[in-house]
Amino acid sequence: MASVPHIAVIGGGSTGIGIARDLAMRGLDVTLVEQGNLTHGTTGRMHGLLHSGGRYAVSDQASANECIEENKVLRDIASHCVEMTGGMFVKRPEDTEEYFEEKLEGCKACDIPAEVISGEEARAIEPHLARDIDKAITVPDGAIDPFRLVVANAASAEEHGARIETHSKVTDLVVEDDEVVGVEVEHQTGPDKKVRGTEGGTEQIRADYVVNATGAWAGRIGDMANVDIEVRPSKGVMTIMNIRQVDTVINRCRPKGDADIIVPHETTAILGTTDEEVDDPEDYPEEGWEVELMIDTLKELVPMLEEARTIRSFWGVRPLYEPPDVGSDDPTDITRDYFLLDHEERDDLHGMTSIVGGKFTTYRMMGEEISDHVCDQFGIDAECRTAEVPLPGSEDFSVLRDYMDEFGLRSPIGRRSVERLGSRAEDVLNTDGPNPTVCECEAVTRAEIKDAISQSGANLNAVRIRTRASMGNCQGGFCCNRMASELHGEFDEQITREAWDALLQERWKGQRHALWGQQLSQAALNYALHATTQNRDNDPADGEPVDFAAFDSGPTPTGTSGQTGVVTDGGTRDGD
Amino acid sequence: MESAFEPTEPNTGEEFEPVDVFPDSDDFDLRPGSDSCYKCSTCDTNCPVAEVDDEFPGPKFQGPEQWRLKQSEDDYDIDDSVMDCSNCMRCDNACPAGVPLSQMHNTARGEYVSEQMDHLSIEYWRNRILSNYRTSAWLASKTPRLANFAMNLGPARWLMEKTMGVTKEREFPEFATETFREWWDKRGAAAGSKERAQAARRERGLPEDADKKVAYFHGCYSNYNTTEVGKAMVRVYEHFGYEVVVPEQGCSGTPMFANGMLEDARRHAEVNVSSMSDLVDQGYDAIASCTSCSMALRQEYPELFDIDGIDDLAANTFESIEYLRIHEDIREEIQAAEVSGELADEFAYHAPCHSRNQGLDRQAVELFRELDGAGIEDVGESCSGISGTYGWKAEKYEKSMKIGDEMFDHMEHAEGETGMTECPTCAMQMEHGTGYDIRHPLELVEAALVDGHAV
Repeated sequence: MASVPHIAVIGGGSTGIGIARDLAMRGLDVTLVEQGNLTHGTTGRMHGLLHSGGRYAVSDQASANECIEENKVLRDIASHCVEMTGGMFVKRPEDTEEYFEEKLEGCKACDIPAEVISGEEARAIEPHLARDIDKAITVPDGAIDPFRLVVANAASAEEHGARIETHSKVTDLVVEDDEVVGVEVEHQTGPDKKVRGTEGGTEQIRADYVVNATGAWAGRIGDMANVDIEVRPSKGVMTIMNIRQVDTVINRCRPKGDADIIVPHETTAILGTTDEEVDDPEDYPEEGWEVELMIDTLKELVPMLEEARTIRSFWGVRPLYEPPDVGSDDPTDITRDYFLLDHEERDDLHGMTSIVGGKFTTYRMMGEEISDHVCDQFGIDAECRTAEVPLPGSEDFSVLRDYMDEFGLRSPIGRRSVERLGSRAEDVLNTDGPNPTVCECEAVTRAEIKDAISQSGANLNAVRIRTRASMGNCQGGFCCNRMASELHGEFDEQITREAWDALLQERWKGQRHALWGQQLSQAALNYALHATTQNRDNDPADGEPVDFAAFDSGPTPTGTSGQTGVVTDGGTRDGD
Repeated sequence: MESAFEPTEPNTGEEFEPVDVFPDSDDFDLRPGSDSCYKCSTCDTNCPVAEVDDEFPGPKFQGPEQWRLKQSEDDYDIDDSVMDCSNCMRCDNACPAGVPLSQMHNTARGEYVSEQMDHLSIEYWRNRILSNYRTSAWLASKTPRLANFAMNLGPARWLMEKTMGVTKEREFPEFATETFREWWDKRGAAAGSKERAQAARRERGLPEDADKKVAYFHGCYSNYNTTEVGKAMVRVYEHFGYEVVVPEQGCSGTPMFANGMLEDARRHAEVNVSSMSDLVDQGYDAIASCTSCSMALRQEYPELFDIDGIDDLAANTFESIEYLRIHEDIREEIQAAEVSGELADEFAYHAPCHSRNQGLDRQAVELFRELDGAGIEDVGESCSGISGTYGWKAEKYEKSMKIGDEMFDHMEHAEGETGMTECPTCAMQMEHGTGYDIRHPLELVEAALVDGHAV
């Protein structure tokens, strides 16, 4: 064995990236592989709630305890990813008093700061709450940007020597003598796939230990070594509102049910969610009734949602796991706790552990536990420092600045930029050249786009998750082309077009579920703009040469002298 | 009649205290407005300031975009460019999606001035003095001749520009030696008006007790400066058999909205709504001769303030010519009339932006094109550029004149050498840019319909 063990981590979601950072900070040699972009799986498809633990305070106090602990840690180490909005559990007249009391007791038992306020007080905080809300319990819920958090973890892991490979899919596990000794990886090729190792083609990555952190995909990795991992993927829909109807996380105070949470997230509010088991984490139906259910149910808490503008909906798949002997029928009964499956103990397969279940809020804690486990394998006694060392971007910084003087930016644009960039703001925003706003809805300037391109190459969806560009109310209608043109110079036309197309497709995917009312108008305007200025309406000139002979020459001039008619382009003849 | 109106003057003379101008209330919630914007930028292409000022980010940014970006738990600053908006309100008209842009701008500007502006700065006090024109005018009206002399004295103006940032390029409007209200009182006030209206009704064969009564909102300018407009209003309305009352009133608030002085505006609005809505209750309609005054009472009041009776007042407020076109056969009378004398002239007519927003931009042309003895030509749909106090600010003067260029040009090309408009500050700008005399449509109606308007 080499003096420094090499660990391969599979999965570039919050769990995998948290493990990679932790191990790298402990001095281990780490390679992380992810089949898509960072956050490609479940992490990129969540509602962005930083749990206080309140949601689990009755049914799952172990999870609740972990949540409140990690909630405090993340506010500290990831301040530029977190907005401490506060949250409340609101009780409608038809929700039971018993459960309300249980919730309050549960919060207290788990040391979650909780306070009862009257309906009136709740409406003073959130004026759009329904008039008939009886009362509420306040808790320290918050909002967190999963993309920013994962990107910051990746940056930190790389700073500590880790190799992060995105667009690199594990095709097989290398198993020798009942021990996993590496992974076979297929790297996608192309400058939009920022591959650090071998560009394109396959690679065998030998490792002293493998961590399977693929969440809902864990069973597939298990299959490669003939071990059974019964992840029970469960889908949930999330609907994004154009603006924030509430500035506080609003939870419905009732045992369990669909559509019971509203999370204010950046410029938007996200409604969630449902819980329905699916067979395949990559292939499941996305249905209109699920979106309608969100709005119809949550308008009981915030009536104005009924008329409010929805900009898109997306589905995520929870990587739920329960020990095979529990056997819950309903996915909402499955614990949100995480499980460390040591395949040596479990399946006599050495060299690999899988981590399944768990929640985004506790990603760091899961990383710590599995890193401890990995270190144990090698007798390494290294201290975990991920709870103390701030992530890149969350070192000391202040959002209160003179944005015009410092960066030449209008106040809300500068403020949003600095909130996203955190302590990196100066490095990114102090540019020599002009720095126009590229995405007006989300206030993203050219400098920030350029910075994201330098991190992720010609992949505009990767630029999107780093900056929020194209994630506002026009859903990229006005800025996708501008983002694409920022690739100019470094990348050729073909690559730029592909990246641009991929971004537009991704934007369209979620908008399909919001095509009524105002977002339908938006989509119609976007269509017209893209058709008329970018030839995106399948113009016949795109591809096959145009058969000009097929056009007639216009109406035949009729008779009277001097009237010679018009030429075929509609203009008048010279000399008329 | 007037004794019924005893306005309470809250807080006058006291120190300015920022208060919560917009308490959380569904009425003022701008969320639906922000939801309506689909970023098409039609507002930006219709903004006269954005057209001449590349630094100005435009109404879309000032309104729905900034509103959406600053939603957060934390307090976000309003960008200071909101002070470059002239509040012409053209964006309201331009928007195909019904975004309440001017309401968003007024709200943001109010917040900026109340929360972020240095209340000891020269800009703040300059803006405050400009927007409280009524106070200055009231003072000047005490000694109008001295005021007219002193206010336009070269050295005084130089000093005002240097110390206060009030441009020395413009001439201050002349103060009347007798205010409209002084004239009104001398003339017999409401009682006198009632008699004249009754006489007119008899002549017209109308029942003597016909329900024709209006409350005149003259605004500051007709009272202190162009009193002839106020007088014309009274005579024309009496000619049609209306009893006019002139309730106690302050400023409509228009210049205060444009300068973000919402507390001042509210104070005046409380006076106006109190006295005017009482009359509306009694069956009076509110009539303004200034299109910005009618705009304020109709649109900005209910959008910005929650005062008892404000919605009723808004629903019953009309511009003076508009009202007659609705209720009287003024068209037939104008067709039958012939104008002679001073007002038998060709007029270059400019429709103020605020009249445009009320759908009144064609009323003068449609009315007077059938009047014998006078001609009227619309000089186009550009903004005059002065926008009340905007063009009086030294740093805005050049922009104001650049916006006005198109209108000046069209006025030069129009046949007449007399201008016409409903808005007193547009009139200032028209006169400043061309040297023409500027008249109000009511003056021409009076000349055409009211015999030998002696009293």
